[in-house]
Amino acid sequence: MENKSHLLLWKGLFLLILVGLGFGIYASSKSIDYTWRWERIPQYIVSTEPTEIRAPFDGTAYVDDATNTITIESDMGLDPLIIKDFDEAMIYDGDLVFEGDAVAEQTGWTIGPITWGLWITLKLSVVSLVFAVIIGLFTGLARISHNPVLRYLAITYIELIRGTPLLVQIFIFYFFIGTVLSLDRFTAGVAALSVFTGAYIAEIVRSGIQSIHPGQMEAARSLGMNYVQAMVNVILPQAFKRTLPPMAGQFINLIKDSSLVSVISITDLTKAGREVVSSTFAPFEVWFTVALLYLVLTGALSWAIQYLEKRLSASD
Amino acid sequence: MTKQVDERIIRAENVDKIYPNGCHALKQVSLDIKRGEVVVIIGPSGSGKSTFLRTLNQLETISEGTIRIDDVSLTDKKTNINKVREEVGMVFQSFNLFPHKTALGNVMLSPVKVLKKSKKEADSEGRELLKRVGLAERMNNYPSHLSGGQQQRVAIARALAMMPKIMLFDEPTSALDPEMVGEVLDVMKSLASDGMTMVVVTHEMGFAREVADRVVFMEDGELVFEESPERFFESDNPRLQRFLGQVL
Repeated sequence: MENKSHLLLWKGLFLLILVGLGFGIYASSKSIDYTWRWERIPQYIVSTEPTEIRAPFDGTAYVDDATNTITIESDMGLDPLIIKDFDEAMIYDGDLVFEGDAVAEQTGWTIGPITWGLWITLKLSVVSLVFAVIIGLFTGLARISHNPVLRYLAITYIELIRGTPLLVQIFIFYFFIGTVLSLDRFTAGVAALSVFTGAYIAEIVRSGIQSIHPGQMEAARSLGMNYVQAMVNVILPQAFKRTLPPMAGQFINLIKDSSLVSVISITDLTKAGREVVSSTFAPFEVWFTVALLYLVLTGALSWAIQYLEKRLSASD
Repeated sequence: MTKQVDERIIRAENVDKIYPNGCHALKQVSLDIKRGEVVVIIGPSGSGKSTFLRTLNQLETISEGTIRIDDVSLTDKKTNINKVREEVGMVFQSFNLFPHKTALGNVMLSPVKVLKKSKKEADSEGRELLKRVGLAERMNNYPSHLSGGQQQRVAIARALAMMPKIMLFDEPTSALDPEMVGEVLDVMKSLASDGMTMVVVTHEMGFAREVADRVVFMEDGELVFEESPERFFESDNPRLQRFLGQVL
């Protein structure tokens, strides 16, 4: 009983410290005369502002109320533009329009730049993750291979990647390899991230496999399985379970590291944040929002892996 | 000639094993084993008896000599060792069950993956084998939920699932609590009476006396002495006497 009340006390203290920290942030922003404008943020996540449809060339516009279409005939003889999907026309029938004029408005929800950046970050992370796992698995296996060529290649790759900064690798991938193989920025970013993360995953895979008792391989081989069958059916499933916690850490690192690709102008969550800051002048709010969104991604991943770990613990 | 081939299922001749560190583990070991024979190998630890057993399915490679299993040479480069291993089951001191599979899963794995049997067939055969080793009730348990004796019996069923012609036992009861030794030995005895060719490395002198057709004594990597159990335990070979004096 006494123990329980003590526990409550400690939890209370923990909350108190959190509140104190929050107040500290608020007070420090006061001291530099910062005006919080949280209301500016939501529109960059989901925008309810109507979007304007603009004329792509000079011409004459015809509005047909019966069928609810706008047709713009080009002065230069280009194919006429027919706009059907709009909510309010901003011109009258027979108006002359010039390139860039707003001709109609579309209401409804549109995705803001921050959400778009979140999506890019997610896509970048998932695609890189898949490749990183494949690279890591094969490099890890090569690392413990008896064939010196495979082993030395794996060691060279791992040491090279782990010994250089990711930022530098991203530049090399974009400016050198990207130019040579004419990769677009997204591909270059994915390549840099998966090659970087792959080196770390390779070491996790290696240590996972080596942590499995050699008797397991012997038992599998004594039952007539060849090396590959034994690896796939006996060693890797056990190693997989054992490496889940360090893998989770590596995957979370990958999501966070993906913010670095903003340097090659991929509009991920971080770059979107930078752009929004420059148009809102609300850096504190934007960066807190961006941090929170990263936390949502990493939190979801870490929850998913914990769930997987629990499910796999049936044989413990 | 054909008769000889038929009779001797294992023929080891002048087997030498030298580890890269210079340790001379096996010295000119020769042993022929007939179909259906139960051979028990005893000897002090470090005598090379486990090493010799493990050369019989090439878990341990040999430096010199020849080993033929069912007239297939293991040292021949053209021999597919995986095929040979399908016919030579092995039971380990530390069980080596696959911890991520249930008892039945352990037994089914190799027939499905190696012999390409259907899941259904492997399942019914697996259940039959587990029943035979007295584990009908425990099929869906993971190894971590089984006692040592039960794990070792699953390991025997797993090896039997490949329908081997030979069973190798590497100190199968040494890691067991004393009260569980009996249940494993009983399974081995029933296997022997079914006519399985067995090579058993063990310290269970009672098992050797009761079940073996031949007992082999090894020391310092050499095969010192082989004899029928009756004569073996009466022998006045000084090296054997010294060893038996220590264990009995």
